[in-house]
Amino acid sequence: MTVQPLQGIRIADFGQIIAIPYTAQMLAWLGAEVILIETERRLTTRIWPPFAEAEPGINRSGGFNLVNSSKMSCTLNLREPEGVDLAKQIISVSDVVLENYSSGTMERMGLGYQDVRGLRPDVVYLSLGAFGRTGPMKNLVGFHSVINLFSGLASVTGHKGSHPRIMGGLFPDAFSGCYCVLALLEALYHRAKTGEGQYIEVAMTEALATILPEAVMEYALDGTEPERVGNRHREKAPHNVFRCQGEENWVAISVDGDSQFQALAQAAGSPGWVDDPRFATSEARLGHQDELDPLIENWTKGLQAPDVVVRLQAVGVPAGPVLDSAQVLADPHMIDRGFVQSPDHPEVGPRPMGAFAWGVDGGRPGVARSAPLLGEHNRKVIQELLQVPDHEFKRLMEQGVIG
Amino acid sequence: MLKEGALSGLKVVELTDQVSGQVAGSFCARLLGDAGADVVKVEPPHGDRYRRNGPYPGGVPDPEWSGLFLYLNSNKRGVSLDIESAGGWAAFLDLTAASDFLVLGQNSSEIERLGLRRERFSDANPGLIVTAITPFGLTGPNSAYLGDDLIAISAGGMAFATPGVPDRVGDPDLEPPLRSNTHMAGYLAGVQGAMASIAALLSRALGQGAGCEIDLSMQEAVAAVMPFELAHASYHKAKGRQPGVFGLMPNAYLPCRDGYVVVMAVMEAHWRNLMDLAGNPDWADLEVFSSGVERARNWDALEPLLLEWTMAHTGAEIAQLAQDRGIPCFPAYTVGQMVDSAHVTERGFMLDMKGPGGEKFKLPGYPVRLERTPWQLFRPAPKLGEHTSEVLGEWLGYSAAQLAELGTR
Repeated sequence: MTVQPLQGIRIADFGQIIAIPYTAQMLAWLGAEVILIETERRLTTRIWPPFAEAEPGINRSGGFNLVNSSKMSCTLNLREPEGVDLAKQIISVSDVVLENYSSGTMERMGLGYQDVRGLRPDVVYLSLGAFGRTGPMKNLVGFHSVINLFSGLASVTGHKGSHPRIMGGLFPDAFSGCYCVLALLEALYHRAKTGEGQYIEVAMTEALATILPEAVMEYALDGTEPERVGNRHREKAPHNVFRCQGEENWVAISVDGDSQFQALAQAAGSPGWVDDPRFATSEARLGHQDELDPLIENWTKGLQAPDVVVRLQAVGVPAGPVLDSAQVLADPHMIDRGFVQSPDHPEVGPRPMGAFAWGVDGGRPGVARSAPLLGEHNRKVIQELLQVPDHEFKRLMEQGVIG
Repeated sequence: MLKEGALSGLKVVELTDQVSGQVAGSFCARLLGDAGADVVKVEPPHGDRYRRNGPYPGGVPDPEWSGLFLYLNSNKRGVSLDIESAGGWAAFLDLTAASDFLVLGQNSSEIERLGLRRERFSDANPGLIVTAITPFGLTGPNSAYLGDDLIAISAGGMAFATPGVPDRVGDPDLEPPLRSNTHMAGYLAGVQGAMASIAALLSRALGQGAGCEIDLSMQEAVAAVMPFELAHASYHKAKGRQPGVFGLMPNAYLPCRDGYVVVMAVMEAHWRNLMDLAGNPDWADLEVFSSGVERARNWDALEPLLLEWTMAHTGAEIAQLAQDRGIPCFPAYTVGQMVDSAHVTERGFMLDMKGPGGEKFKLPGYPVRLERTPWQLFRPAPKLGEHTSEVLGEWLGYSAAQLAELGTR
């Protein structure tokens, strides 16, 4: 196993909801010490479902626990000047500050980049906003759906002839988080070389727009808006998901070229397809998918999805199961590879979650510990790290500065 | 005057094949180039697949002006080598021996066939960081499977989860799992590959200079960006595809006069404000709509009433009215509305490009602003083989005779 890349790096995590909490979680997986600063007075994902066995509780939310693993939790009331002061003390011993409050919130609390760089001149400070920190829409509230809708992604997502659809999985948050981690690692490498910290700003809408180059270019050239094409592809046919045996089971099949189609036809027991002029060439198939897809589904719907995948992959045809989230966590392949990890949690026990999408030299960097209980590390952070004496700690607790 | 990027002075070799990993590997390598590394893209003599993808500025196919290629390969130099020939293979190995990173976007079977595992390189270059992006990874029972974007989006759980909240499946028979018409899995894997590569660089700096092999799976790159979706399965139960109503309403995706709009007013203050906008109709005060829970329970009655209001307005009107009152409503933008929006324009996000005949077009820019090491367009995407002699001379000291033997131009 290689050296943890962020060993010795401390992160002050002011993240809200998913995007920055997930960013900080990835940094924790890379070996950083992450202090999540939260407050009992304004809980979000901790009080949102899904809860373990649907039983609510501030330490029982999967939404919280799966984006805050391997962190410490320190509860500070940032409406109190003394709470802000403690936050500043944490920042002054941290290498990185992360935040995704609405625009201007950190500045109003006196915790903006210009405020804190005096405390820690080489700090790397990252702000993420739905629309970024500048521009006429900087103050808009942006949930993942808004990011999908504004970026144009929804307009290239949808069934043929139908309306724009919102992609699932709340992925704009975590995808933006990946860009944040990338930027932070670059900034930390730059700091190691030069001693310089810096300010980083990320817009979720822009992160999402980076996956749409062709649509942007086509529009800019002559005003063409993309058509929605379901699961179809400009060059490959067949290219779709097909119903299999049982409820809510599909298999994805993507055929690139005539030899793969020949193999598919053989595997489906219909070698004659290749002699049909409608299906004989890629070009012909692209024009006759409405006729071809039902023929393929006639074959797949009598089989289990994993069976179709095995039969097609055996003859070199790209195919994959359409997994739901339970099947992802139970997938023997991804479990074998170490993607699925189950850190033990004191209240809800071990729960499976996804780690990094990559292994390194046969090992898997990833989840060291489960998410913290609310305020679990108050003493460790405030007394041990900040050296606040015991009587002072008690006073701050009683006055609700810590909490 | 161009500033130095964070990765200035580091070298990257990219080798991607004609199939699945192409977008992922190319985007990963581009992101390293965006940060200032010297990225050399090794292309076969007939050129990268996405040189034939388009869109083309003049509408006429031209391998030097394919939009997707231009986008994926800026901030790189281009070397053309036939790695299936002895001389081309030797030159490729020489490049990897001189490099800090090798980025591979391939099917795993192709990586094994060519012998591109790290052991192949570690004697000549123990510090080399090999980033291999494949559909299902290099290990595990399904590692040999072929895959592409559709397969990864499906096997990673995202197709099943689409449409996502607050959009809902209407008729399950007519709405099978769905991907977007993009190379989404490629971009997800590409960004994560760049992240993994720089993490490995930091490890190398801390750990006596040893490189490593990063084995990144596109399937996992998709699953990794859906922690909330996985949380449902892990903590309670996986979400199905049956139409359902959320616990609190309205949190809905509804048609409006000129398109679709998200209407979110689950909090009481938001609901009151929304009813104000709708002209405080009589039904607003009905007991059956008196709380988010009641509105969810009686959604079948509420939805048509709200539709009367949304259908009377355009998406832009609804967004303006709602956002003025702090209600999070938003319309589905077309690509053009996004590109032309005052917000995108003022932030300068889009890159202004020019085609061979002076055609003006745009491509998405960089979504991160780094104060000290800002993103820059150091160079546009290379012409096929544009830098073969330059790079082989500069990196490897190849003589004119050696270059002639390779048949480079």
